[in-house]
Amino acid sequence: MSQLSSTDTPTEEAEIATDTVREAMLEQLSAELGDALVGSHLEPGIDLTIRVTADAWAQTAEFLKNGMGFAYFSFVSAIDWLPSPFGRDMDSQVDLALEGADPKEAEEMIWGLAGGETRFQVFARVNDIVGHRALTIKADVPADTLTVPSWVGTYAGANWHEREAWEMFGINFEGHPGLRHIYLPGEFEGNPMRKDFPLLARRVKPWPGIVDVEAMPGSDDEEDETDAGGSND
Amino acid sequence: MTDISDRQQLGYIASQAADARLNLELETEGMTLNIGPQHPATHGTLRIIAKLDGEQVIAADPVMGYMHRGYEKLTEVRTYPQVTSLINRIDWLGSFANEVPFILAAEQLMEVEAPPRAQWIRTILFEMSRIANVVLFLGDMAVQVGAVTPVFFAFRDREHILNQIESATGGRFHPNFDRIGGLKDDLPAGWVAETKQVMKKMRGFCDEIETLVMGNEIFQKRTRGIGVIPPDVGLQYGLSGANIRGSGVDWDVRRDNPNGLVYDQVDWKVWTHPDGDSFSRFWVRLQEVREATKIVDQLLDTIPAGPIMAKVPRIIKVTAGEAYVETENPLGVMGYYVISKGDLVPYRVKIRSASFNNMSITPWLLKGVYVPDIVTILGSLYFILGDIDR
Amino acid sequence: MGLVESGKIPKGITSLLNMSRKYSLWVYQWGLACCAIEMGAAFGSPRYDVMRLGVIPLPASPRQTDLVVVSGTVTDKMAPAVKRLYEQMPEPKYVISMGSCANCGGPYWDSYSVTKGVDQIIPVDVYVPGCPPRPEALLEGIVMLQERIQNEDMAARWKGESIVVD
Repeated sequence: MSQLSSTDTPTEEAEIATDTVREAMLEQLSAELGDALVGSHLEPGIDLTIRVTADAWAQTAEFLKNGMGFAYFSFVSAIDWLPSPFGRDMDSQVDLALEGADPKEAEEMIWGLAGGETRFQVFARVNDIVGHRALTIKADVPADTLTVPSWVGTYAGANWHEREAWEMFGINFEGHPGLRHIYLPGEFEGNPMRKDFPLLARRVKPWPGIVDVEAMPGSDDEEDETDAGGSND
Repeated sequence: MTDISDRQQLGYIASQAADARLNLELETEGMTLNIGPQHPATHGTLRIIAKLDGEQVIAADPVMGYMHRGYEKLTEVRTYPQVTSLINRIDWLGSFANEVPFILAAEQLMEVEAPPRAQWIRTILFEMSRIANVVLFLGDMAVQVGAVTPVFFAFRDREHILNQIESATGGRFHPNFDRIGGLKDDLPAGWVAETKQVMKKMRGFCDEIETLVMGNEIFQKRTRGIGVIPPDVGLQYGLSGANIRGSGVDWDVRRDNPNGLVYDQVDWKVWTHPDGDSFSRFWVRLQEVREATKIVDQLLDTIPAGPIMAKVPRIIKVTAGEAYVETENPLGVMGYYVISKGDLVPYRVKIRSASFNNMSITPWLLKGVYVPDIVTILGSLYFILGDIDR
Repeated sequence: MGLVESGKIPKGITSLLNMSRKYSLWVYQWGLACCAIEMGAAFGSPRYDVMRLGVIPLPASPRQTDLVVVSGTVTDKMAPAVKRLYEQMPEPKYVISMGSCANCGGPYWDSYSVTKGVDQIIPVDVYVPGCPPRPEALLEGIVMLQERIQNEDMAARWKGESIVVD
């Protein structure tokens, strides 16, 4: 197979993304999007998250792909920020289903990076594989319509991801060529990834593995707060 | 990104021409062919509804979900250590590789770093699961074009790798070995020498496949120029792994963003192939297995001594925050977007699995191909159903 | 067949018939998930070599099989297909449920989309535990099924319901 060649791998170190790279990205984005960029979070050396308005969702994709070189589409999905009224309590080790408790009252919603205003957020990730950059884009989904513009026109690969988000969260994507079930059988009711969708099996049967303490390697004392495993090689 | 090579351009133009011809010349009464959900060509439970015109596919619509197990929902009711045992089963051929990005994301949130020895062993096992995974592809791809023998070779030699993984982790298939802050155990005595022997065997297997399959005229005729993915289309659909490198895109997360694995410590090479067809994807994967054996060999020589666990609390509560970590898994880029609220359980885990993106190109790619080529194209894209449906 | 239906089949012939049946099991590989690979290792790899047990793992269609190995997660979407496959098989037919998922739902016991055990839709003869079971475990399951076939009383199997051909 000598006639087949491989493109040469650059020998020098891949450019390490620094703050300046991400800050420049953020600047470029805020210059383009203006007021549509409603929030951002920059973790130096790790990641950049921005939040745009739902109206600017498609425009952002367009700009990222054609204006900034983020040609690689990674994923689109959604987040439900409603504290779960079912399943495990969010701050304890107790599985509420065990106690047969009723669904809890909805607590106040706490949003993640780059903030939020509505219960549902769509979030996506795109990469610039030449410059080794990537960022996460979020947008609040309007509570009344649950509709955001589709990315399919910009990134064809968003098609299946949006179908998944539609099925799992019930979020509509305007301009999507065909929102239909992707995973679940057609007669399935509800949107399973919503936090208020109960896992019925958990409500009728206790979770068998409620004890979550696992012994760490090399530990012999149960009371140890922290433990470091030793090497014997 | 490299430019489109002539060969690629030709292949692309040819497929475009096939599209046009389809509309003009071959106007016959259409028929719908249902392949699956259980069909040997679909590696599990994928179903493809293909609209045919004669022998050509006009439209192909993959139907997934026959293996949908609801991972993302289940992670919300499992503690972090329990999640790793669950996500082993996403890509069941390279199980250990599934754990790593999740653990790395959790470590990033907790601001814990695994000790060097753990990082080394992680990378070794990561590459070994790549070999265990891709070896089966190399045998299976030959089955797709009608040669049954190589798959027996693949199963035979895969056992060696599984034995090594089992003796190190205790799990033949699903190790569940990675922990936040390190690894469960250290390597057993004598493992390093044995693994080196196995790596030699795997290189032998690669040579065997190369002489047995790759030079074969039938194999070449069935794969060359078939299923051409131009790089720009591949990027739009989010293809990754050998599927995008087979289209000449020089992008490998292992090299560009090692993310806590020690790929920068070894001398290795990212292989790409400019053609973008089924053959090039096969070729790239074959080279990747070879590279993986080299990476493992070098890492085995340089494993540092030291602890295998960092200091972590006994009961793991991951600091509130969000982290996305992706790694170059056997099937392509796999990433976990972990949202934590400081509890025992993750608040939301978005699993970005490679096969889902890799398969999303099929409606585009299968348009205009002949029916037997469906099989080779699907085979060359190489997906695991669990990785698509999650 | 008259003898069988009336329960008068001689013991020796039953034993001979059963032995013939147990050593020519055509098995359909209904590989669904991780277990499919271990099943592949058991049936298709030189190390485990299932044919030495008189099991032939390469039938052309479920209509020609005696045994089906349901290996892997059965989802609610898949369940109708599993049932249809079972109905396509000719009697006498046997089912091995391989792996925790097919046995009871396994690690997906609380999932919204997984059927909690294939025995909810079709009768199962042998359960092989494990996640996934090793190939040896599957071979053990097959041997157990063969024992069961050997001791099967044809008369008992057919008693009560005579075969009516319309």
